[in-house]
Amino acid sequence: MSPAIRVAPVEDIAEGEGLKVDRSVTGTADHIAVLRDDDGEFYALDDTCTHEEASLAEGWIENGQVECPLHAARFCLRTGAALCLPATRHIRRHQVEVRDGEIWLLPDMAPVP
Amino acid sequence: MSGQVRRIVVVGGGIGGVSTCAALRSGGYDGALTLIDEGEYPYDRPPLSKRFLGASGGFPLIALRPDAWYDDQRITLLTNSRVAGLLPGEASVRLADGGVIGADRVVLATGGRAARPPIPGADGPRVHVLRTVNDAIRLRASLGPGVRLLVVGAGLIGAEVTSTAVELGCEVCLVDPDARPLAGAVGDRLAGWLHDQHAARGMTVLREAVAYLRDTGRTVLAGLTGGSREFDAVVLGTGMTPAAELAETAGLEVSGGIIVDQGQVTSSPAVLAVGDPARPRLPDGRLGRRAEHWEAAQHDALRAAATILGAPQPAATAPWFWTDRYGRHVEVVGSMADAGEIVFRGAAGDGPFAAFGLRGPQIVSAVAVDQPLAVRAARRLIDRHAEVDRGLLADPAVDLRRLSRRPRIPQDETAVPQESGWGS
Ligand SMILES: Cc1cc2nc3c(=O)[nH]c(=O)nc-3n(C[C@H](O)[C@H](O)[C@H](O)COP(=O)(O)OP(=O)(O)OC[C@H]3O[C@@H](n4cnc5c(N)ncnc54)[C@H](O)[C@@H]3O)c2cc1C
Ligand code: FES
Repeated sequence: MSPAIRVAPVEDIAEGEGLKVDRSVTGTADHIAVLRDDDGEFYALDDTCTHEEASLAEGWIENGQVECPLHAARFCLRTGAALCLPATRHIRRHQVEVRDGEIWLLPDMAPVP
Repeated sequence: MSGQVRRIVVVGGGIGGVSTCAALRSGGYDGALTLIDEGEYPYDRPPLSKRFLGASGGFPLIALRPDAWYDDQRITLLTNSRVAGLLPGEASVRLADGGVIGADRVVLATGGRAARPPIPGADGPRVHVLRTVNDAIRLRASLGPGVRLLVVGAGLIGAEVTSTAVELGCEVCLVDPDARPLAGAVGDRLAGWLHDQHAARGMTVLREAVAYLRDTGRTVLAGLTGGSREFDAVVLGTGMTPAAELAETAGLEVSGGIIVDQGQVTSSPAVLAVGDPARPRLPDGRLGRRAEHWEAAQHDALRAAATILGAPQPAATAPWFWTDRYGRHVEVVGSMADAGEIVFRGAAGDGPFAAFGLRGPQIVSAVAVDQPLAVRAARRLIDRHAEVDRGLLADPAVDLRRLSRRPRIPQDETAVPQESGWGS
């Protein structure tokens, strides 16, 4: 685990919306998508869909899942599991926390397998 | 019903067949499950006219599932095996090599074949179609900088091949007698706009039919108004023929596709059909259209599995497909032909925009270019038969996600029939 990164105040990401944090900031192989479910919970996943090239921060977030904006593969926000085709590979998950009204990201720095 | 079903054979390893297997297992089916395909490996078709055609590489790029998945799911995968017949009266299949596989249920997921129009010379050596991975590999080998390519038919596949071939440096001539191909799916205005993208990028676009194709030994002469023109290769994007022979020979009801009920069951109770070859009988008894889209095949698979397992059918949802051309991502939900009025959000042009089809106060369809959230919001509104405010839809400042999460107006579930397929 690397040091926590402050992303934004909570109110900057509305329910059902996402924010892409550039890898130059996170130090991870991929950018990270901070995603807020429609119930208000925050999650963080690698930003690039495991099918082709698309940003999950721009996906549709609802009901514990994010749907890829290109071909609609869905991933579990909690586990990163690929829930339907065309994606077959899980996506990496990162820790995210809310402290004093701010969103903090704790990127998973383990090497990409 | 599920109690007696211990052996299921799925014929065809495209998105329909593979999704049927996945849905059966996730629905709790633990009996024998055999997936048979005449090709080398179950793969995905949409990349064949896009990324796969423009790149190098083979199966790993487009495999529907990794190898291990079939073992994990306890699926007996028989590749390079063609099913030659359905045994009448029972749900068993006969393989081309003579073997017979007994089953309690057979799911036909046989897809279709690229149709060749009755143009003289349409079967010539330099005339391509695009349906299988081998078609794509063969076509790819004849594309490249300076290649003069004739694309016949400007529907979904013709348009995508044109766009990919242009990226590869080909000089493309696109012919179609229709000024607005795809109007059935996206409406006249957007069909016109989409078609205009070809000419805007310097393609030669002709509005006519090809009279003949004559192979010269090195090139092809195409009969067009005002004489013949010479090309290095030709691609036909002229429709799909559903693979319905197994059903037909077995005496099942076939009419422009294998006729299925709302649970994907054919006229034989032990045989189901999904995906491109399946043609639904609508609740009112009329025959619907074959969907011919990727996601529709998945939904068919979910319904077929639910039927076999005696589980509740999944909720109906408006049909959706995407297509890519010239770096633009186009998505369509519902049918614009069903709309009485069209509301634009942004202008059709270089930037992202969307158009919504309305019938009375309800939204029935949408087309979005580089605006995925608009189509996802629209789909949710369509599925719940929501009444929408035109002004809010048209206003780019309004967040459609929030609009689509507003309180719902419950109503019955009526499936929206689908227009226009990937054959063309
Ligand atoms: C080039 C191309 C691009 C496309 N792009 C898009 C797109 O961008 N978006 C979209 O929504 N849709 C797209 N489509 C449409 C989409 O791919 C199809 O709707 C989808 O593949 C249908 O799946 P299916 O399982 O019904 O049939 P198929 O994918 O055709 O699979 C049928 C399988 O059955 C096998 N089979 C047939 N008969 C037998 C037999 N007797 N024995 C054994 N095996 C048999 C075949 O080998 C084949 O593998 C595209 C189609 C093509 C061809
Ligand atoms: S890129 Fe995400 S589903 Fe295809």
